[in-house]
Amino acid sequence: MFGLIGHSPSLTQAHIAARELGFPEYADRDLEFWCSAPPQIADTVRLTSLTGETIEGRYIDSCFLPEMLMNNRGKTAVRKILNAMAHAQKYGIQTTALGGFSSIVFENFKLYQMRQVRNVQLEFERFTTGNTHTAYIICRQVELMAERLNLDLGRSTVAVVGATGDIGSAVCRWLSTKLDVQDLLLVARQQDRLEALAGELGRGKVLPMEEALPLADVIVWVASMPKGVEIDADGLKKPCLIVDGGYPKNLGTRIQHPEIHILSGGIVEHAIGIESKIMRIIGMAEPARQVFACFAESMLLEFEKWYTNFSWSRNQITVAKMEQIGQASVKHGFSPLLLEVAS
Amino acid sequence: MPQLEATLELNYRSEAYRDAYSRINAIVIEGEQEATDNYIRLGEMLPEHQEELHRLSRMEARHKKGFMACGRNLEVSPDMDFAREYFAGLHGNFQKAAETGNVVACLLIQALIIEAFAIAAYNIYIPVADDFARKITEGVVKDEYSHLNFGEEWLKAHFEESKDALEAANRENLPLVWKMLNQVENDAAELGMEKEALVEDFMIQYGEALSNIGFNTREIMRMSAMGLAA
Repeated sequence: MFGLIGHSPSLTQAHIAARELGFPEYADRDLEFWCSAPPQIADTVRLTSLTGETIEGRYIDSCFLPEMLMNNRGKTAVRKILNAMAHAQKYGIQTTALGGFSSIVFENFKLYQMRQVRNVQLEFERFTTGNTHTAYIICRQVELMAERLNLDLGRSTVAVVGATGDIGSAVCRWLSTKLDVQDLLLVARQQDRLEALAGELGRGKVLPMEEALPLADVIVWVASMPKGVEIDADGLKKPCLIVDGGYPKNLGTRIQHPEIHILSGGIVEHAIGIESKIMRIIGMAEPARQVFACFAESMLLEFEKWYTNFSWSRNQITVAKMEQIGQASVKHGFSPLLLEVAS
Repeated sequence: MPQLEATLELNYRSEAYRDAYSRINAIVIEGEQEATDNYIRLGEMLPEHQEELHRLSRMEARHKKGFMACGRNLEVSPDMDFAREYFAGLHGNFQKAAETGNVVACLLIQALIIEAFAIAAYNIYIPVADDFARKITEGVVKDEYSHLNFGEEWLKAHFEESKDALEAANRENLPLVWKMLNQVENDAAELGMEKEALVEDFMIQYGEALSNIGFNTREIMRMSAMGLAA
């Protein structure tokens, strides 16, 4: 059995989810209530691979909400994620993916130092961030969308915003070795980490965001923050492809221009379909087929019986591992979400 | 990303800490005394399980002694009048249920509510306790986790016929728990224990117990949120 630890994107959405999943006691409750709410197994997810095998998993709502980070309730956020992980482990789930902010909270607040949750010693080999599959899918989205838009990546400038993060650095590795883009612009807040990444890659220009974005034919957005960031659409190249792989994915609602193509990054579609209630509730446009690539990673690990924390700790994702999970992804029927382009 | 909030510096010897401790420590001692007495009473109601219940009673009495030592270590006199008053609601409901032979309600009050409340409080207390009390409390928690919960097992074996009575007892008693938690919110905060963490831990323990007995997720969410933020 695979597991998915997720959460609602906002308090308002949490109320809707509680009503739709049949938990009316949790609807209309304020943030304080959610801060005290325990993790719940909220849904069962089923899917069948192209190989014919069917697997089943559980969706665990950690009851974390991004508002907790916005209101500086880091301790609450930490408790939510640790409790959800302990819950998954007690339930006997083999591999659980940490979706949405879960893996970000895990990394940022160094939860690997907090292994003991009450009487449960967390076994980290039972968890995966899902970042390897997410990074692979984002790279494939760049590649396939570039084809659709007749964009020659060998002559394109690609800016990666959030380049030093786990997903961002993996994307940079792939872009610089597999796709050979003309210019790679590295954007992130921490200068020392950027310099280290450029050193590792042997290429890439470190630039501030406001200088990088107007130069880019392709923008890969993999920065995650509880509050959105404003981007000036007028200053962007036309045409421009933006792969919005951050969390939450809200660039599409902020920028609207016929020559700026914004694609939700890190989302896959399944060839046969996914049976669940939760995919619609967590915002998939086509809930019967779509799922976050990080969640799909735990499904792939279950199909392949790779009972290991495939994606773990920061900046460990190699191109080889992305290829490995990518092959499994194709084998079991996942493909990257793409945009239709008018010809 | 925000930083983690700074952890409160605790001065275990300060007047404010010891004042709050006099009530919290008393509650813990009284809670263990209630448990000691309640298991004896349950033994009378379930004579075929008397030996097991007396063993549990002796264990709770040992725990009580440990917590009395924690108070003495900080030179605090536990406010037992406050604690008895604090438990009066649950105490009264247990006695009422026992008199009418309502084993299900008695087990819900003692084996589910009081046990979950205690374990939640100990879990949240351990990281902020003084060294002496931490060791004692860790031992108690280990004890609690190591014995199979008698009440859970009994209620699981009698689930179908107990379900309605459990829901009724839950409706009557869980709101008392929230009231009790609110009543000591400030004292607990003085000891570095946050109310939201206590509530969450209680709901986890209580929900796990209800799940073991046989309730499904929806029933658990309904029952464990009963009367909270009403």
